[in-house]
Amino acid sequence: MENLLSIPFLIFMPLVASLFLMSPLFTNHEISIRRFAKAVFGFHFLYSIIMLIFFDSANPYINEINIFGLDWIQSLGIKFAFKIDNISLILVLLTSFIFLISSISSKINIRKNHKFYYSMLLLLMSAVLGIFTANDMFAFFLFWELELIPAYFLIGGNFSNSSNQEAKKSAIKFVLFTFLGSMFILLGILLIHYYNYVTTGTLSAIFDSIFVNYIPQGIQLLIAICFLIGFGVKLPIIPLHTWLPDAHTNAPTPISIVLAGVLLKTGAYGIYRFNYQVLEESFKVIAPVLAILALINIVYTAFVAYSQSDIKRIVAYSSISNMGLILLGLCAYNQLGLSASIFHMVAHALITSGLFMICGIVQLRCKTRDIDALGGIATKMPRLFGFATLIVLASIGVPLFAPFVSEILTIIGALLSELSFVLKICAVFALPLLIISSCYMLKFLHCSFYGELKEQFEKINDITMHEFVVLASIICGLIIFGIYPSAILNLVGAY
Amino acid sequence: MINDLFNILLPQSCLGLFIIIQLLLAMFLSPRKYPLARIISIIGILLSVCLLSTVQIEPQYFAFRNSLMSDNFTLLFHFIILSCGFLSILICGNLSKKIKTNAYSFQALLLTAILGAMSIISANDFLTLFVSVELLSFSTYFLIASLKGYYSKEASFKYLITSAISTGVFLFGVSYIYGLTSSLNFSEIYEIVVSKEVTLLYSFASIMTILGLISKLAIFPFANWIIDVYKGTETSVLAFISTIPKLALFGILCRLIVFPLGTSFELTFVLAILSIITALWANSYAIKSTNVKAILACSSAANASYVLLAASLVSVYNLSTVIFYLICYVIMNIGVFAFLNISESNGIGINLDSFKGLFKKNPGVSALYSILIIGLAGFPITSGFVAKIYLFSAIAHSGLIFIPFLLILLVLTVVALYYYLKLILPLFESSSQEQSMKTTFSQTFVLAITVAITVAIGVYPEKIIELCRFIAYNI
Repeated sequence: MENLLSIPFLIFMPLVASLFLMSPLFTNHEISIRRFAKAVFGFHFLYSIIMLIFFDSANPYINEINIFGLDWIQSLGIKFAFKIDNISLILVLLTSFIFLISSISSKINIRKNHKFYYSMLLLLMSAVLGIFTANDMFAFFLFWELELIPAYFLIGGNFSNSSNQEAKKSAIKFVLFTFLGSMFILLGILLIHYYNYVTTGTLSAIFDSIFVNYIPQGIQLLIAICFLIGFGVKLPIIPLHTWLPDAHTNAPTPISIVLAGVLLKTGAYGIYRFNYQVLEESFKVIAPVLAILALINIVYTAFVAYSQSDIKRIVAYSSISNMGLILLGLCAYNQLGLSASIFHMVAHALITSGLFMICGIVQLRCKTRDIDALGGIATKMPRLFGFATLIVLASIGVPLFAPFVSEILTIIGALLSELSFVLKICAVFALPLLIISSCYMLKFLHCSFYGELKEQFEKINDITMHEFVVLASIICGLIIFGIYPSAILNLVGAY
Repeated sequence: MINDLFNILLPQSCLGLFIIIQLLLAMFLSPRKYPLARIISIIGILLSVCLLSTVQIEPQYFAFRNSLMSDNFTLLFHFIILSCGFLSILICGNLSKKIKTNAYSFQALLLTAILGAMSIISANDFLTLFVSVELLSFSTYFLIASLKGYYSKEASFKYLITSAISTGVFLFGVSYIYGLTSSLNFSEIYEIVVSKEVTLLYSFASIMTILGLISKLAIFPFANWIIDVYKGTETSVLAFISTIPKLALFGILCRLIVFPLGTSFELTFVLAILSIITALWANSYAIKSTNVKAILACSSAANASYVLLAASLVSVYNLSTVIFYLICYVIMNIGVFAFLNISESNGIGINLDSFKGLFKKNPGVSALYSILIIGLAGFPITSGFVAKIYLFSAIAHSGLIFIPFLLILLVLTVVALYYYLKLILPLFESSSQEQSMKTTFSQTFVLAITVAITVAIGVYPEKIIELCRFIAYNI
């Protein structure tokens, strides 16, 4: 079985499919393009489930790609090395799932340039999977940068009938912000690479074989800050977040799902891999400061979200708030905090894709996202209303849904943290402040669905089969992980 | 003497022969036969490439009383220069509408410039170097001025003035070096310098010498000619000007910095500061510019400054990165100019707005061009990404004091990404006047081959890096 389950296949299958789709060989027929893409995503999801079934946390999957018996850049010690350990595996599964539902929901939103759209989506998936599985820092960086090209085109591209100048601007903003961050990441990686060379005499940037203990403390801190800036752009940590609301709001709905569901997690994953694992010592020093930033993330964006009138912006800000919670879990620096934050990554990915899905459906039917212009559509769309209620309840942390477990565990993890009392204080403050999230989420539900039905919405239809499948699978995921959280927690190794 | 000629000088003599043929033809044949003249040049260059195999390189070969030399390094650079010349002559197309000069003498000038560049690389003393630099420069002045219209003359004159000043500076530095060491030969100077302590005067002299040389690379004190020259020059000539002088001068700079002049820390520091200033200037100028050629001029100056920074931090590791970066950069650059040439020959202006909507009707060509620009910006799957990582790792490996420089470069890369995006984004916009472009076979060929090399190096860089390291260790 081991020969069949290879990571390169997992990563490069979407890439090859994307190139095939882009090439002139493939027909321009819309339906066959869509079916092909969905088949690839579906097969990929199955494949990653098989990987999960055969996974053994004692020996994680490890692969290296050699070309003609040589490493990728042997003279620099750069390898195409991949490794799937338990955390990578969870995120790979998540990626696979989110891309699958995103491709299903693309049917309604994407009206033009199907070929280009689906090939870019596949390319983006390849890049994200590369990020989650890379075992070499430079390979990680390669995928980190590669991701920008498809993400740019997906956010700013011309896929609906109305041309959207705002989307282009926010796509450029997204690319420039992330690229700036990635330059800091590159600086950090180069410094680690250099010090590793000076002390051990070998050029290598494999995560497992990096020894950072002999890097001077000050330099270690500098490297850690470089990484934090880089990943903080993606996560986002508060002063670096300004690209996010624009990008998420202006992107087409399936892309918003992917952005919030998967791309934000790459930032958290980066902090976990680089800061939490490699630069442990300096992470312990930084963690209290980071926890305060996480608290600011949670609170500030919750207030901002409450003041928004665009429903998609509310969801965008809510995801920054949730990412703050994930960051807080990582800062706790104990097993509980870590597993809670990984769990919250999954839970948040599910909620936020559900919420973006609902926003997209509302926008498509009502032609507006303004919360004041909406109202009363529950009578016309009872099924959507049902789903929306469930997802909103899940997102404000009602028991039986996954976010309840992850939020509580994060707070407990931070309370039990042995690093600093700052973390305990942050945890104490974070818990009551999570209530704000129920304010804006209920406002979102109330203002758009309840009330008198407005005249212009008399003729709207309820959700189609595609949308039903997507929303139902999200709800299933939320409930399954809410009732049986150990499915993920055991895998991370909390208990 | 004759022995030396046959041992290392056959490629250059072949080029010389073809220059004479072109000039003779210019006297007798009709002056407007651009295609024929081009074919003769191409034959000359290809013959010269073949003759490279006769050059003796093992071990280092010194000829003509040590004034010329040849080793692996010169061979590699000769090969790259000839191939760049070959590609840029291929994209020339029919120039009869744009240029008044006699076709044959125009091609003779191109060949002369290549000859000058090759001699720069193999120079082993300051006089040979001086003569070769002037050979290259004089033919470039005429090449720049050959385009019809006022701007090209202005550009050429600006370049001439700047070069004249920098030549003065160069000779000033050389005269001091001669005064201190009583020799003009690189090897002899190196022996003298190594045996005793470096004086401040010697550092001053070497700074002056290098300053004189780097004016052709548009490094700070002599930088502002580059934008006018790029704006005023014909595109295919530009492909030539943006690559060949750069290759030649960086080739000789590597040799000079590693051997006779490299022992002074002051030189390193001055060069590092100058390259950072240039990078800041070039990148900030490009942000506001809307002229494609001006943006490419800035990109050229910026890239030159990155390479100079790496080259100035003397080490063998750095030398290999410099060679690798140059190879990747010139190939992408020629491809970009091939696209510009295609668009220009179809009557599309060189403002960013005039590129709007080209993708829809010309998906193939535009996609290739986008890959090249993405490569220049340093994205993965292209050689630009590997070159960026390799060059920056070299700077990081030079020591902690250069980390601030590295940080500035990294931030400037983001600025650079902004203007590179400006170059490709209009292609994908929708526009009212979409036109399909006609391309000739040779232009498409150049574009395709440059993209192929760029992607190939990006996917599998190991062999080229190995080659660069081998050459750098054996210099």
